[in-house]
Amino acid sequence: MTSRTEQTLTYTILGLFSLLALAPIVGIVFTALQNPDNVNAFGSFDGIHLGNFKDAWEQGNFGSYLKSSAIVTVTVVVVAGTLSILSGYAFGLMRFRGSGVLFYVFLLGLMVPMEAMIVPLYYDLRDLSLTDTYWALILPQIATSVAFGTFWMRAFFRSVPRSLVEAARIDGATSWFTLWRVLLPLAKPAVLTMTVLLFMWTWNEFLLALVMVTDEGLRTAPLGLSFFQGRNTSNLTLLAAGSVIVATPVVVVYMFLQRHFIRGMLSGAVKG
Amino acid sequence: MAEVRFIDVDKRYGGVDAVRGVSLDIADGEFMVFVGPSGSGKTTALRMLAGLESISGGQITIGDRVVNDVAPRERDIAMVFQDYALYPQMTVFDNLAFGLRRRKVPKDEIARRVARAAEALDLGRYLRRKPGQLSGGQAQRVALGRALVRDPQVFLMDEPLSNLDAKLRTQTRGEIKRLQQEVGRTTVYVTHDQVEAMTMGDRIAVMNDGVLEQVGTPEELYERPANRFVAGFIGSPAMAFFDADVVAADGGARLRCGAVDVVLPGVGGLPAEVTVGVRPECARPWEEGDGRLVGPVSGVVEYVEALGRETFVGVDAGGARVVVHCEGRAALQPGDAIEFGIAPAGLRFFACDSGLALPTAVEAAR
Amino acid sequence: MSAIEPATPTSPASAVAGGAAGAEAKPDWPLGGTRPEARPPGEPRRVGYLYILPAFLILAGLILYPLGHAVYLSLWHWDGLTTGTWAGLENYADVVSDPALRSSFAHALVLLAFYALLPVAIGLLIAGLVARAQVRGLAFFRTVIFLPQVIAMVVVAVMWRMIYEPENGALNELLRAVGLGSLTQSWLGDFDLALPSVGGIATWVYYGLAMVLLTAGVQKIPQSLYDAARVDGAGPVREFFAVTLPGLRGEIAVALTLTTIFALRNFDLVYITTKGGPGDATSVPAFEVYDRAFQTGQVGSAAAIGISLAVVIFLISVLINRVAERGAR
Repeated sequence: MTSRTEQTLTYTILGLFSLLALAPIVGIVFTALQNPDNVNAFGSFDGIHLGNFKDAWEQGNFGSYLKSSAIVTVTVVVVAGTLSILSGYAFGLMRFRGSGVLFYVFLLGLMVPMEAMIVPLYYDLRDLSLTDTYWALILPQIATSVAFGTFWMRAFFRSVPRSLVEAARIDGATSWFTLWRVLLPLAKPAVLTMTVLLFMWTWNEFLLALVMVTDEGLRTAPLGLSFFQGRNTSNLTLLAAGSVIVATPVVVVYMFLQRHFIRGMLSGAVKG
Repeated sequence: MAEVRFIDVDKRYGGVDAVRGVSLDIADGEFMVFVGPSGSGKTTALRMLAGLESISGGQITIGDRVVNDVAPRERDIAMVFQDYALYPQMTVFDNLAFGLRRRKVPKDEIARRVARAAEALDLGRYLRRKPGQLSGGQAQRVALGRALVRDPQVFLMDEPLSNLDAKLRTQTRGEIKRLQQEVGRTTVYVTHDQVEAMTMGDRIAVMNDGVLEQVGTPEELYERPANRFVAGFIGSPAMAFFDADVVAADGGARLRCGAVDVVLPGVGGLPAEVTVGVRPECARPWEEGDGRLVGPVSGVVEYVEALGRETFVGVDAGGARVVVHCEGRAALQPGDAIEFGIAPAGLRFFACDSGLALPTAVEAAR
Repeated sequence: MSAIEPATPTSPASAVAGGAAGAEAKPDWPLGGTRPEARPPGEPRRVGYLYILPAFLILAGLILYPLGHAVYLSLWHWDGLTTGTWAGLENYADVVSDPALRSSFAHALVLLAFYALLPVAIGLLIAGLVARAQVRGLAFFRTVIFLPQVIAMVVVAVMWRMIYEPENGALNELLRAVGLGSLTQSWLGDFDLALPSVGGIATWVYYGLAMVLLTAGVQKIPQSLYDAARVDGAGPVREFFAVTLPGLRGEIAVALTLTTIFALRNFDLVYITTKGGPGDATSVPAFEVYDRAFQTGQVGSAAAIGISLAVVIFLISVLINRVAERGAR
C-alpha cells in the first residue's frame, strides 16, 4: 500500500509534466485566436478571432501546402504500409535462404539517417529530372518508411502463434490468402500504430522538402510554414495561426487513434 | 482405406537427431497414441506425418501413397493443435467452414456438414460466437469440430487436452474416444500423459530420445514392457527399480539388495546382477500366511501418499527403494519401521547395462 | 539490436492459449544465419523473395545506392557544378580537424544530454512513481504528455521562438511576472545560452516519448517482484533501484537509442530557431551537411559529414544496446 502523501506526489508530478507539455500548445492556440489589432503577446487570451486563420490561409497559401502534404503523406503511408506488410510477412513467417542477410539490409535502411543520404539523393534525383516533383518527396520517404515498417511488421508476424499459420496451411489456404484473410485481421493494432507513426513522420518531414522542392506549388506544410515565418516574423497571430493549421492534421489523426496507438506502443515488446 | 506407415523415418535438425529410424504401421481406423516425455520426438513425428516438417530420411505413407513430398492440404488429413489455433476474428461457424471453403465444397454441403459437427459436439449455440467468447472446453470442441467437418482420412491430434483443467480433461478424453469410434477414422494422437495414452489408445507407441521404444496395446505395455524406460514410463505411481544380486536357490532364484533378501519360486535364467522393477501393487504390507507374497522385507517409511481409498508408502529397504501399496488409510509416519512382502508375479527384470527386459521362468510359465 | 516491437494481436486467451505444461520443445524457427532445413512440402519458402522484392527494390534504389554514392562523393572536393578534384580521405580528416566541424559534433554531444538523458531521467521518475501506485487516468496523462511528439518540429520551433522571444516572449514575461525580471535573457541570441535553450525544446518534445516507453515497461514487471521487495522491507527508493530500474533495462535502451538518433539527426529545430547562430554557437552536423552541400558548395565535405554521422549513430546505438545486454546477464 502506498501512502496518501505518495499518491498526492504522484498525481502532482504527473499533473505538472502534463501541464508543461500542454502549456506551449495552448499558448500558441490562444495566440492564434488573438485580436490582431491589439498588441500581441504569446499565450495571452483576448477572445476568439477565427479570422486569423482565414488571413493566414489566404496570405500563406496554406491550402496548397496542405494539399501537397496530403498527396505525399497518403501515398507514402499507403504504399510503404502495403510493402511493409508484404515484406514483414515474409521475414516473420517464412524460411528462405539468405533471409537473415536480407533483413540486415533492411535494418541498415533503418539506421541510416536522411542526413547521410540527402546529398547524393539530390543529385541522383536531379539527374532523373525528379527534383521539383512529388516523386522527389515520395520515393525517398517510401524507402525510409519501408525500412521501419518491415521491421515493425516482422516483429508482429513473429508474435503470431505458428500453429495458426499451420492450421491454415492444412486447411488448404495459400500464403497470400493466409496473409490477408487470416493474419491481417489480427494485425489491426500493429498496422494502425505503424500507420500513425508513418503518417506523423512523413507529414512532419522537413529537410527533404527543403532540399528537393523550389516550386512553391509543391511545398509541403512544414516547408511552407518555414517560408511563411521568414516573411511574417513580426505578425505573431498570423504565424501562430499558420502553425496551428500545419500541426492540426497530425494532431487530429493522433487524437482519433490515440487509444489504439498508445496501446500499440505499450504492448510493444522489447527484444534484446 | 487409410493405413499410415512410418518406414525407417529420420528427422535431423542441423546436427541433432530428433527422430531416429522410426518404423510403425498404423491400421485403418486405429487410434494410435504417441507418448513420451518432452523432446522425445513424438510431436516431430506427428508433424512429419502432417507435412509440417520435412522428412530427413525414410518414408511415410498414407493409404497407398508415399506422402514425403505431398503438401499438407493434399494429404487428406486434419489436425487438432495444442493451442487449438482457432482463427480469432472468425465466428465458430466460419472456423468450421474455413477448410471446406478452401476446398470449394458447395455452400449447402458446408452448411450441412457444419451443422452435423456442431450437433455431435454440442456447439449449436455457439456458432455465431468468436473464439474469444468461448471457454477453454468450448474452444477445444471447436478445434475438434474443425477437424471433424473435413472428414479426412486421418485425424492428427497434438496434445489437444493439455490446456484443459483436470476435470474437463478426463471428460473430454472419453468424448474424443467416443467420436473416434463413431467415425472410425485412423487417428494419431500425441500426448506426454501416460494416463491419457493408456485410456485412449488402441495401441500406444512409446517414444524416448527420438527412438520408438515399444509399440503395443495398453495391456502389453503394462504387463510386458520391452525395457526399463517403458516400464518406468507406463503406470502410476511409477514402477520402482533397484539393482539386485541373483543367486540360484531351491526351486527358484534368491534376490538380494539391501534389506531385500527373498527367494522367488519358479524364477530362473537370470544373470548374476539384474535391475528389478516392482509395481506398487506388487508390494504390500507383510501378512503372515499370505501365500502370494514372499518376504518379509523390513524397511523405513520415507513418505506417505494418502489418496483416501488407498495409500502409497515410499519405503527404503536398506538401499532398495520400493513403493508399497496399502488399502485404505495407513497409520504410518515417515521414519516408522515397516515390513512388507512382494508378489513375485508382479516383478519385472531388466539387464543392468542395456535396460532390456529379461525373460524369466515365471514369465515363460504363463 | 533492441527495438520497440508492435502489439501482439489481442488474441483471445482461450483461442490461443499459452504454452502448456509439458509442451514439447519445438525446434526454433530459424531466422538469421541458420541454413534452412529441407523444405516441408507445401510450405511457402521461395515465394518469400517475391513478397520482399518490391520493398527491397525501393530500399536498394533509394537508400543503398545513395549511400554508396555518398561514400563516393565524400572522396572528392566538389562544388556541385564544376569538375571535382580527388580528395581521398581529406574530407574525413576535416571532420576531426576543422574546428567548425569539430564544434558542430561537440554541440551534438551537448544536445544529447537534452535529447536523451534528461527525457529518460524524467521518464524514469514518472515510471518509478507509477510503479508504486494504481494511477487512475494514466492513459489520459500519457496521451497529453506524448502530444508534443506528434507536432511537426517546424511548428515546435516556430512556437518556441515565440516563447524565447526576448522582448515579449512568454518565458521572459513569466519571469517578470513572478518577480525574477533580472533573469530575463535573450535566450536564443546569447552565445552561451543558445545551445541549452535549443536543447530545452528537445527535452520538452521527447520526455513524453520516454515516459510512454518506460511506463509501458513498468507495467510488464511482475507485481510479485514488488511484493517480494516489500516483504523484504524495501522502501520506495530501494524498490526503485532493486526492481524498477533493472526491470526497465530494455526499455531504457530503446528510449536512449531513439532519442540519441533524434539528437544526432537534429536539423529542423536548429534551422528554424537559430540557423546555427549566433555565430556558430548552435551549429550541428546535420545543419553543416545542408549548409555545405546546398549553400556554400562543399558537396564532398557534406557527404563526408553525413557518412560520419551515420557511423556515429550506428556506433552509439550498438554501444547502448551492448551495455543494456551486458547488464541483463
